[in-house]
Amino acid sequence: MVLPLKGVMQAPVTPLKDDFSFDASGFEKMVEFHVRHGAPAIAWPHHKAESLNLTIAERKLGAEIAVKTVAKRVPVSIFLGTLSEEDSVDIARHAEKIGADAVLAISPYVRRPTQEEIYDSVVRLGTATQLPILTYNSPWRNGEGVEFTADLVQRLIERLPNYVGMKDASFHSEKFLEISRIALNMRPGFSIIQGVEHLLAAYPLGACGSFSSSGAIAPNLCNRFYNSLVERDWETARDCQFKISRLWKLFREQYPSSLKGAMIMMGRPVGPTRSPLPTATKERIDFLKAQLEELGILQSEPHGW
Amino acid sequence: MADFQCGLTHAPVTPFKRDNSIDYDTYAKLLDFHIRNGAQALALPMPEGEDLSLTDTEQRRVIEFAVKQVKGRVPLIAHVSDAGTMIAVERARYAEKAGVDAIVSHPPYFWHPKPAMVVEHIVALGSAVGLPFFVCTPPVENVGTHLTADMFMQLVDRLKNLRGIVDSEMDFVFMEDIMGERKTRRAAYDLISGADYMVPPAALGGKGAFSSLAAIAPKLVKQVYELCANEDFIEARKGQEQLAVLRQTVRHPRLETGLKAALRAMGRDCGDPRPPSKSLGEVERGRISDALAALPFLSAEPRGW
Repeated sequence: MVLPLKGVMQAPVTPLKDDFSFDASGFEKMVEFHVRHGAPAIAWPHHKAESLNLTIAERKLGAEIAVKTVAKRVPVSIFLGTLSEEDSVDIARHAEKIGADAVLAISPYVRRPTQEEIYDSVVRLGTATQLPILTYNSPWRNGEGVEFTADLVQRLIERLPNYVGMKDASFHSEKFLEISRIALNMRPGFSIIQGVEHLLAAYPLGACGSFSSSGAIAPNLCNRFYNSLVERDWETARDCQFKISRLWKLFREQYPSSLKGAMIMMGRPVGPTRSPLPTATKERIDFLKAQLEELGILQSEPHGW
Repeated sequence: MADFQCGLTHAPVTPFKRDNSIDYDTYAKLLDFHIRNGAQALALPMPEGEDLSLTDTEQRRVIEFAVKQVKGRVPLIAHVSDAGTMIAVERARYAEKAGVDAIVSHPPYFWHPKPAMVVEHIVALGSAVGLPFFVCTPPVENVGTHLTADMFMQLVDRLKNLRGIVDSEMDFVFMEDIMGERKTRRAAYDLISGADYMVPPAALGGKGAFSSLAAIAPKLVKQVYELCANEDFIEARKGQEQLAVLRQTVRHPRLETGLKAALRAMGRDCGDPRPPSKSLGEVERGRISDALAALPFLSAEPRGW
C-alpha cells in the first residue's frame, strides 16, 4: 500500500481557454510537461489548479486525462477537497474507478471543524475507497483551517489501513516533529510531503518531499534541490531552497494568477484564471519576467511545452 | 564584537525558596552545573527563568550575581525585556555596566504595538548598549508582538551590534526568509534555535542554540547541538526526536513549571515557580516524574548536582 512518494512532486495548473472553459488538450500537455521534466508524482487538482472553481464534472474529466496521460510512469493522486463532503466521496470513488494511485483529503472545508469532525470525515472518505489516502494538514488559515494534530494522525493511522501520508502545511518545527515521530513510528514509510516548497527544514526530520508551485516554471531547480538533499549537499540545498522560496513569494500573490502569467511568458499558454481570482495583467507578467531573469530562471529552465 | 557567537547557550531557571524569594545558594549551584555540563554561554533570566515574575531590582541583582558567580568562565548574555522602552533601556545599560558580554531581548511585552513601534523599541534598546545584541521571537504570541522578517531586516539595517535572532516561533517560512536575506545581503547575523528544535534552523544555515532542556538533559542537548554544527542533520534526527519527547513531557501546563518539576525529579531541586504560575500538585509532579523515568535516554544524564 505504501506508494513510492518522494521528491519534489508536481501539481499541474488547470489550463483554460480564453473563454474560461476547461482546456483538455492544454491539460494533457501540462501533465506531459511535468512528467517529461522529472516529476516523481503528479497531484491534481490542488488549489494551484483552481480546484474549487472547477465543476465536479470537470474535475472528473481532468482526473481521467491525468491518469491516462501519466500512464503509470509515476503515481497520480487526486485531490478530494470540495465544499460538500458528498462530492468528495463521489470524486474518491471515481478516482479509484479510473485507476488513480491515491487520493488527498482536506475535510471538512471552510467550517473551522473540530478534531472529531475531521476524524469522522476522513474515516468516511478513507473507507469509501480502497485507494491509499493522504490528508492535507492546513492549520491557521482564517476560517478554512483544517488542522491534523499528532493525536488525530495517530487515531487515523489506527483506524485506516490505507492512510499513507500527509501533505503538511504547518511549516512549524514542533508541530511537524510531533506528527512525524508518531506517524513514522507507527507506520514506517508514511509519506510526509511539505505543502508547497518549504522542504529543507523538514527533510532531515522525515519529510519525503514537497508539492511544488515553482515546478511549473523551474522543474530543473526542483530536481536539483531534491538531489542535493539526497546527497546531503546542504550548501546547494540551501541555495535551491532560498531561490525556490523567492519564487514562491512571486507566485503566491493571488495564487495561481501570477504563476499562470509566468507560464504563459515561458511559452506554455495556460490561459486565464477563473473568477473570483484575477488574471495576471501584462504589467504583472513584465514584472515577473524581470524577476525570473534576475534569478537566472529564464536562462536555465525549459521554454514551451 | 562582530565575532561574538553564542554557541550552545544554556538558559537556566531561577530557583526560588519556599517563601518565593530567589534562592541564590541554589542558583550558584545551578550555574556551576550548567557550565560543567556543556554550556558555552549562559542567558538569563529568560522566560524559562521567569523574568516576567521578577521585579526590576531582582533582575538587576540576578545579572550582577551571575557575573560574579560565572567569573568569565563562559560569556554571559543578559535577557532584558519589558513592556516599557525606558525601563528596558535602563536595565540593559545596567547589565552592560555590571559586566555581561551580550544582551538579548524580546519585542516589548504586552502592548501589541504596530510594527514600526516595535522596531523603535528594539532599536532604542540595542543602541543604548555597546555590547553584541540579540533579538528573540516570542515563545507565545500573547506575551509580545509578532516579529516579522521585514521587521528583523529593519533592525539589521539600523543596529550595528545586532548579532542574531533567537527563534522560538519555529516557523519554517520565517527562518527561510531570514536566511535567504542573509545570503542576498551577505550579512553576518546568526539564526539561533531558541526552543530546543535545533535541526530545522541549522539545516537552513543557522548557527547556535538557546536551550532550556539542557537543565535536564545536558548530554543529549550537546549531542544534537554538535551533530547540527557538523551538518549531520540526518544523524541528528533521533536525538532531536528525544528532545521533542522531553519537551512535550515538561511543557504543560507551562514550560517553567514542568522544568522545575523535572529538575526536582533529576535531583536538582530549584523550588517551585513563583506566582502567578501555579505550582504542580503531587499528582501532576508524579506524572512528570514517572514520564521521565520511562524515558530510557535520560539514564545517561546526570542526577543531582
